[in-house]
Amino acid sequence: MALIAIIDDDPDILDASSLVLKSKGYEIITATNPNDGYDIVKLHNPDLIILDVMMDEPDDGFFLAQKFRKENIHTPIIMYTSVSKAVGMDFGANEMVPVDDFVEKPITPDELIKKVEKLIIHQVKE
Amino acid sequence: MVVDDLKPQVLIIDDEKGLRLGTKRLLESEGFIADVAENGTEGINLARSKPFDLAIIDLKMPDLDGIEVLKEIRKIDPNIVCFIATAYASYETAIESTKLGAYSYIPKPFTPEELLLQLKKGYEKRLLILEAEKLKKEREERLLEIAYEKTRLKTILNSITEGALVVNKTGELVLYNSSALKYLDLHEIFIGDVILEILPPEITEMIKKFIDSNEYIPNSYSTQIELKPNKELIVEATCSPVPHADGSLAGVVTVIRNITEAKKVEDIKSQFVSMVAHELKTPVAAVIGFIKIILDDTFGVKPEQQKDFLNRSYVRLNGLLAMVNDLLDISRMELRKTQREIKELDIAQVLKSTLDFLELELKKKGITANLSIGCSDCHLMADQNEINRLFTNLISNAIKYNKDNGSIDLEIKRSGNYLRIRVSDTGIGLKAEEKAKLFQEFFRVKNDKTRGISGTGLGLSIVKRIVDSYAGKIEVESEFNVGTTFLIFLPIKENGQSSSTQK
Repeated sequence: MALIAIIDDDPDILDASSLVLKSKGYEIITATNPNDGYDIVKLHNPDLIILDVMMDEPDDGFFLAQKFRKENIHTPIIMYTSVSKAVGMDFGANEMVPVDDFVEKPITPDELIKKVEKLIIHQVKE
Repeated sequence: MVVDDLKPQVLIIDDEKGLRLGTKRLLESEGFIADVAENGTEGINLARSKPFDLAIIDLKMPDLDGIEVLKEIRKIDPNIVCFIATAYASYETAIESTKLGAYSYIPKPFTPEELLLQLKKGYEKRLLILEAEKLKKEREERLLEIAYEKTRLKTILNSITEGALVVNKTGELVLYNSSALKYLDLHEIFIGDVILEILPPEITEMIKKFIDSNEYIPNSYSTQIELKPNKELIVEATCSPVPHADGSLAGVVTVIRNITEAKKVEDIKSQFVSMVAHELKTPVAAVIGFIKIILDDTFGVKPEQQKDFLNRSYVRLNGLLAMVNDLLDISRMELRKTQREIKELDIAQVLKSTLDFLELELKKKGITANLSIGCSDCHLMADQNEINRLFTNLISNAIKYNKDNGSIDLEIKRSGNYLRIRVSDTGIGLKAEEKAKLFQEFFRVKNDKTRGISGTGLGLSIVKRIVDSYAGKIEVESEFNVGTTFLIFLPIKENGQSSSTQK
């Protein structure tokens, strides 16, 4: 079964997301800051990354996503945001930021599963 | 009868007594006021002493020649209508006297009718002269008024901070003020210059709309223009048509208002709103996540895990509530709507009771607190709630960000015109870049050591607002991993009046 890395500084969101995806049989690895996030991705080479924007962190989620792409890590990324509209980050996937999909928190478990399945199946077909 | 209600004043200068008095009597009976002089010198003196409309001057007099008298009288008042009376009437004298300013000459002897006819005509002339004089004076005054009006308009235009600039239908500059030059960065323009090409294109476009239509429609166009990059100068330019008196288009007035500051405030406001939205939404998302997976049977969450999720939801909601309360406090402070009760407070006592209030938190982390009171009178005029809030926030931070079994040093003493309160902890300390952001709303130090510490990110922002509202100051000294010291200076008013800036 596919391996998913979740990187989010909010442990509550992290646990809830992990539980939902584990229930679908995915294996989950987690990190609560960009540095650890980078390490687990390098170490475990997951099939999908769920990455929070983590705007308060010095090297935020955007930065980490860019870092992955620069280093030729093309693992699909779903980016979690909580304020896309309020901050004017009203862009679609792939626009400006090298991620595959955006998710505005809160997200229902069904939606999360759908988005994850879509990206993972897409990847398997390739 | 005479032409005017006012009696014409006549001066008769003649050395011949009979003629002098006869003429006087005749003129007075005809409604003139007549004064007589028996020689030239007396006549000139009389003319100096009171105003006359008319003068009859005998040409041949023993002391002074009539022509000399005429010259003198015209020096006194050039508008006196003068007649030269002479028995030696010759064309030469007549011409000479009129050249020198006599209105006419009267040949002697004359009949009363001849004299009266001449004087009547002379008096009409006198009235015309006076009327012309009056009109001339009025016109001069009006010209002065217009000149003054122009200066006044210029002064008014130049004293307003908005830029104003008027062009006529052909795009020539008609009027401008100094603010317009400043905003548009125009160093050398003159009235009459065709300036459409050198104005910002946004303004030219608006002006052209009016000029091209060539009729007066009372609409205005407005646009915001960034005149200097990086939002250094943003203006709002409004163009309106200027009509002629007949209602046709005369030109276009452009008013330029500097809205840079307003824009800045707007930006800060919307950034703040975004930040608040983000901060409020995060805990909501976490709680919704937990509840959804508890409610959804497909995840089969075990009872003990359910309880854990509910506990964590509860913590998040409490945090959310604390944040909403802090935000409301900040909003009240911004609006200056806080209900204040300014009274004398013993700040040493406030510190003691704050430590009592936080005793449980102190014990939990095994922190010892020392309070040193260095003033005999530590009183201050302030609002109890605000001062409590100020020190509760500071001391609870000193506990939360302290090491286990660390210590907190509180010291209060007089420092010049201030009460100085020092709050030192032995906590995690701050890096320089963290210190710089310390008082920003929602800023929280994020590292491994702070991960478990709850907070709204608004506590110090509230502290700063309270200190500012009392015209106090706040200083921070910190060493990373060693500890942080806050110095609060609150002004003491010796006359016992409130030091608050509350209006």
